[in-house]
Amino acid sequence: MKKSLALLLVLMLVGAMFAGCAGKTEEAKEVVIYQNKVEIGEQLTAFAAAYTEETGVKVTIKTSGGDSPYAEALKAEFQSDRQPDIFVIEGMGGYNTWADKLGTFEGDEWIDLTALEFVVDGKVIGFPVAVEAWGMAYNVDLLNKAGIDPATLTSQAGYKAAFEKIESMKAELGVDSAVAMAAGPDMRWVTGLHNFNGYLSAGLPYGDTTVIDKLNNGEADMDRLTQYADWVELLFQYADKSVLLTGNYDAQVGQFATGKSVFIHQGNWIDPWLISNGVTFPMAFAPHASVAGEFDSIFIGAPSFYVLNKDSASTQEAKDFLNYMATNEKGHAYMVNEAKMVPAFTNVTLTPDAPLSADVAKWVASGKAYTWLQNDMPDGFGMNTLGPLYESFAKGDIDKQTFIDQVAAKIAENK
Amino acid sequence: MKKQTKDHLVFWLFLAPALISFVVVVIIPFFMGLYYSMTDWTAVADSTPVWVGLENYKSMFSDFAFKYSFIRTFLFSVLSVISINLVALTFAFLVTREIRFKNFYRAGFFIPNLIGGLVLGYIWQFIFKSVVPSIGALLGIDFIENLLLLADPNLTLFGLIFAFTWQYAGYIMMIYVAALLNVPQELLEASEIDGANFWQKLISITIPMIAQAFTITSFLTLVSSFKQYDIIVALTNGGPTDLYQGQVVNSSELLAMHIYNVAFKYNNMAEGQARAIIFFLVLSVVSIAQVYYNKKKEVEM
Repeated sequence: MKKSLALLLVLMLVGAMFAGCAGKTEEAKEVVIYQNKVEIGEQLTAFAAAYTEETGVKVTIKTSGGDSPYAEALKAEFQSDRQPDIFVIEGMGGYNTWADKLGTFEGDEWIDLTALEFVVDGKVIGFPVAVEAWGMAYNVDLLNKAGIDPATLTSQAGYKAAFEKIESMKAELGVDSAVAMAAGPDMRWVTGLHNFNGYLSAGLPYGDTTVIDKLNNGEADMDRLTQYADWVELLFQYADKSVLLTGNYDAQVGQFATGKSVFIHQGNWIDPWLISNGVTFPMAFAPHASVAGEFDSIFIGAPSFYVLNKDSASTQEAKDFLNYMATNEKGHAYMVNEAKMVPAFTNVTLTPDAPLSADVAKWVASGKAYTWLQNDMPDGFGMNTLGPLYESFAKGDIDKQTFIDQVAAKIAENK
Repeated sequence: MKKQTKDHLVFWLFLAPALISFVVVVIIPFFMGLYYSMTDWTAVADSTPVWVGLENYKSMFSDFAFKYSFIRTFLFSVLSVISINLVALTFAFLVTREIRFKNFYRAGFFIPNLIGGLVLGYIWQFIFKSVVPSIGALLGIDFIENLLLLADPNLTLFGLIFAFTWQYAGYIMMIYVAALLNVPQELLEASEIDGANFWQKLISITIPMIAQAFTITSFLTLVSSFKQYDIIVALTNGGPTDLYQGQVVNSSELLAMHIYNVAFKYNNMAEGQARAIIFFLVLSVVSIAQVYYNKKKEVEM
């Protein structure tokens, strides 16, 4: 008798274990945002809390990113029982992965306020999170001291002259090298994505996709690639070897921030790093001279977009939240003053106080932009397939001609 | 109820929790994985995988990066197994002798094992990138000051083995310590009376007596070096590049990391899964062979 009682108890315990996972209750409408920018996680959460107070709609921010890979975590999030209502994709690569899950925006007020919304087949799919841009950022003080006019930095010849001059004045300027450039294993996004984007779009009209269309069909533009290799060689030649080969993000940005280089191959996302490390010297962007010819624009784009989950139960609430962010002054204040971003919307009057972001706002206003196409290549192509080639080239394991041939061979594999 | 059926019932009931968990988290996912490795699955919710048969397995064996990664993994595993066991055995001998503070040393050697692989990888990255050049500058040796250790494929491999040994040797040492303390003292004393020197005692008595420990330690070190992932991610991130038969390859992208990259960076879940299955098979064969071989060497008292 006693034994069967014990049996019963054990069975109940096991039953309770499984029952614990099954309970689900109906909740009030809630918007869950799963986003990838760790640096704005707190600010966005605070903004969402203020929004909840004003409208009564609960908005939950979940963040994953930085060193933990967002794309992987997002897949796991979708396998869980509470899928996010809003999540983030980065261009066509993300779209191709998630196409079946994406809802569309229609008639929302913010669509008329930006040129950077993510559109596929005439349907508005993504809300631009922010504008980001990169070019050759330079230290204005050091450039003046070297007596170089930034207006000459429009072609490979112009850069070559400037780099040579800096090289000859190294001791006087107190720099280790002209450029802070990184091509090591941790920095393949700088070479394989950002630098390579010059091959894809520099000098072409905004939105021109001829070169990348060819690339995705396995065809390389050999003339362009040969000219582009000169640019890569030039940057590597005038970079500090230890930062170039083994440096990480801190080493690269650190070299620029401490005045040990005149230029840095990075974008305005380094602002928070510079501010938190107390860097105060003035700085600005000059165009990349990625191929032969003259250049007057930097690479501007929206790196990521908020997209809607088609199967969400609170689509309208999600749309309202995004619209509020783009059209309400509190939303603008959050984007510019709190999150330190450059918003993609024309109705924003606030200017960022971060040095490089302020410069980007000027470039955006003057309309001088080359397209971001680096995220439209096949998954892993830029960083994992091309990245190692840059590193070998930087180390001198392969020469320029081999570099060109290998890049062309990798492009041919896309067929 | 008959006594026998009751016993059966109790037996299965107590086995049930462990059995169910094992089936749910190991057996079922394994067969699901086997199925997915023969489809074009990408892990996106709601997408239906299409059956492609052995296509993923075929493409794997024609992939240069996979073959290279395999060779490198074997090289890394062999060298780490040797290095870890040598260091661990040496430590174990030292801390079982009559020295002062031996418990302190035991704890000290063991502590690196308590540090997570990622943290440890970053620490060693810092040491190789910043501390080593500073030491070179301090000593005035230009070669060391300008040495980019993590830009050289072979030095990086040794750096990885060094960091891994530093982490794992203390743990393996504990197993050797336990084994060494169980070696019967009378045997050693008897041999001493017969005039055996240190090496003779070591080779004829101590080593055979701790053969059981060798089985365990070789298995543990072999399996964990084969599966090594976290230290590599933090320390080298797969780099630096190397040239192998004219191709640019990632010199420290070992199998676990290679599989991860194929699955997540290239978004080829099914292909990554296929490689993981092969990885599992190879690792099983190697470790079973090792245990079988070592077992034969053990002596029974």
